[in-house]
Amino acid sequence: MALSMRRRFFAQPSAAVGVGAGATLLYVAFIGLPVVALLIKAAQQESFFSSLTSGTALTAMRLSLISSAISMVVIVLVGTPFAYLLARSRSPWLRLVDALVELPLVMPPVVAGVAMLMAFGRRGVLGPPLEDLGITLPFTTAAVILAQIFVASPFYVRSAKLGFQSVATDHEDISRTLGVSPWWTFWRVTIPLAAPSLLTGLALSWARAISEFGATIMFAGNLMGKTQTMPLAIMSAMETSLDTAMVLSVLLILGSLTILVTLGIFARRQWQGAA
Amino acid sequence: MSHGWVQCRIGSFDLEANWSIEPGEVLVLFGPSGSGKTSTLRAIAGLLRPQRGHIEIGGRVVYDSDSGVSQPTHRRRVGYLTQRYNLFPHLNVVRNIGYGLRDWTSTVADERVRELIEVLRLDGLEQRRPWELSGGQQQRVALGRALAPNPELLLLDEPFASLDMELRRIFRRELRSTLAESKVPVLLVTHEREEALAFADSIQVIDQGKPLAQGNPLDVLGQPGQERVANLVGVENMFQLTIESRNHHDGTMVCVGGGLRIEVPLDTGPAGVIEPPTGNDESVTVGIRASDIILSHQDIRGSTARNRLPGVVTDVELMPPGYQVKLDCGQSLRCQITGAALDEMNIRPGMELWAVFKASSCFLVEALTQTDAPT
Repeated sequence: MALSMRRRFFAQPSAAVGVGAGATLLYVAFIGLPVVALLIKAAQQESFFSSLTSGTALTAMRLSLISSAISMVVIVLVGTPFAYLLARSRSPWLRLVDALVELPLVMPPVVAGVAMLMAFGRRGVLGPPLEDLGITLPFTTAAVILAQIFVASPFYVRSAKLGFQSVATDHEDISRTLGVSPWWTFWRVTIPLAAPSLLTGLALSWARAISEFGATIMFAGNLMGKTQTMPLAIMSAMETSLDTAMVLSVLLILGSLTILVTLGIFARRQWQGAA
Repeated sequence: MSHGWVQCRIGSFDLEANWSIEPGEVLVLFGPSGSGKTSTLRAIAGLLRPQRGHIEIGGRVVYDSDSGVSQPTHRRRVGYLTQRYNLFPHLNVVRNIGYGLRDWTSTVADERVRELIEVLRLDGLEQRRPWELSGGQQQRVALGRALAPNPELLLLDEPFASLDMELRRIFRRELRSTLAESKVPVLLVTHEREEALAFADSIQVIDQGKPLAQGNPLDVLGQPGQERVANLVGVENMFQLTIESRNHHDGTMVCVGGGLRIEVPLDTGPAGVIEPPTGNDESVTVGIRASDIILSHQDIRGSTARNRLPGVVTDVELMPPGYQVKLDCGQSLRCQITGAALDEMNIRPGMELWAVFKASSCFLVEALTQTDAPT
């Protein structure tokens, strides 16, 4: 079926190109229009800068930046060796774990938040032992970070795993024959060669963490200055003033774009594709 | 002195290899792809763990299954040149060559890199990245990188596999002179006869994970005594013949079969591989290299060549570096000639020619026996 369709497309390339061009236009308009509309509407309002510097906006911005930065540090520190193991090991157990990594990607964030409450909440599985240690997680900044790690880490781990898989073991082998231990080989060969994938994964993961909403509101709540990140602040602002919500939205878009573009530039090494 | 033996089981493939390399010597491991050559190199480098074995590099025991010694790769001091060179794409030429010199003081390391860049004629390319280099330059950088930390054994895996035919000839000579200068013992793996002949001080033929023959390259590759080796090294002409008569005075015997009648040495086979046949009705396999045959328009009378066979050209085929002519002399005889000879003699199918070769160009080949037939 699919094959016969493909044949028909190849037999009539002009028709295929026409359909493709139409679909592309439609798609670009569909994605682009809301973004452009948001930018125009935000630019038209007079109170742009006052909304920007309002206490709510600044506090939410600071919390989003700090929490997502901490999430990224944790994700990179734990996710990198984990991804390397996934890429190099052939154990069937790890293949099971590998499938598990994808789970948060298909799980609705709200469900993830409920699940985290069930695990770390006061009446959750780990609630009592945590309470004995004097640790309360739900509705704290720590909960914001945990929620971000939960939903955002798969993006990094998956990309890093693919990156490590693309590094030829021959390069690592050669390094070892040159008297360089496996540990230093990892730092001097594997990491630099996988760097583009690591940075791409980091960018995607960071963008996902900054925009995290569902799991956060379930597990961490919406407390200004404590758990109210940008997306939560936008929702709260919608109830009182659409203007503030718009300004915050524009900021969030610009922030995410900056991360994507900056890391994307680092990720595009010259030898990609030239090798 | 570097020597050793290993037994490896890789999937369902069994490898048994042994080797011995004198200081400053090049040992060539010759065999078809999939024969276990690369696995042998990887076992020596410590990149593949044998089931059993004993490996010594420059007199140091780096692996011994009985005493449980197994040094990790980075302590074995081997240089390893892979087929695809695997230069580090994130480093320039200087840093690639100096990669293994991190523990050296920087002035000594810089000096070593400079020296290698000069020897390998890489001047002016210091800042280039690997993808900005030609295949030959990449090979030289990879060689420099492998030689820089002064390895005690150099492992070369099909060093010319990624170069085209033209370049191979040039770089073969280049590599040989570099190796001669560096005096590092070398284990080179190849499936190309020419390459083996160009490099080998001694040669070992390996097939299906087992060593078949070992010795002087001219003996082993030129007049291989076993049919399997002969097949591997590509002896172009092999005939099943019957011994008609023997001339002990001349040291020759006359063999016939399928319209052929040729004189071959009595006592043939390198290093007594073959017991000289005794009965008169015995059948033998006779090998003749295509390049040992002379073609002429007329019967050359009054020469010392014992074999002169008339025949008809059936086919002329391009076979670099020249042409291969098939001559029907009762059986089809393959003769290797140069392009110039082809033009001058205007050889074409249907032409009648004489094939001339010495009795000593013929050699007996031990036929495949049931036990060592490939399974």
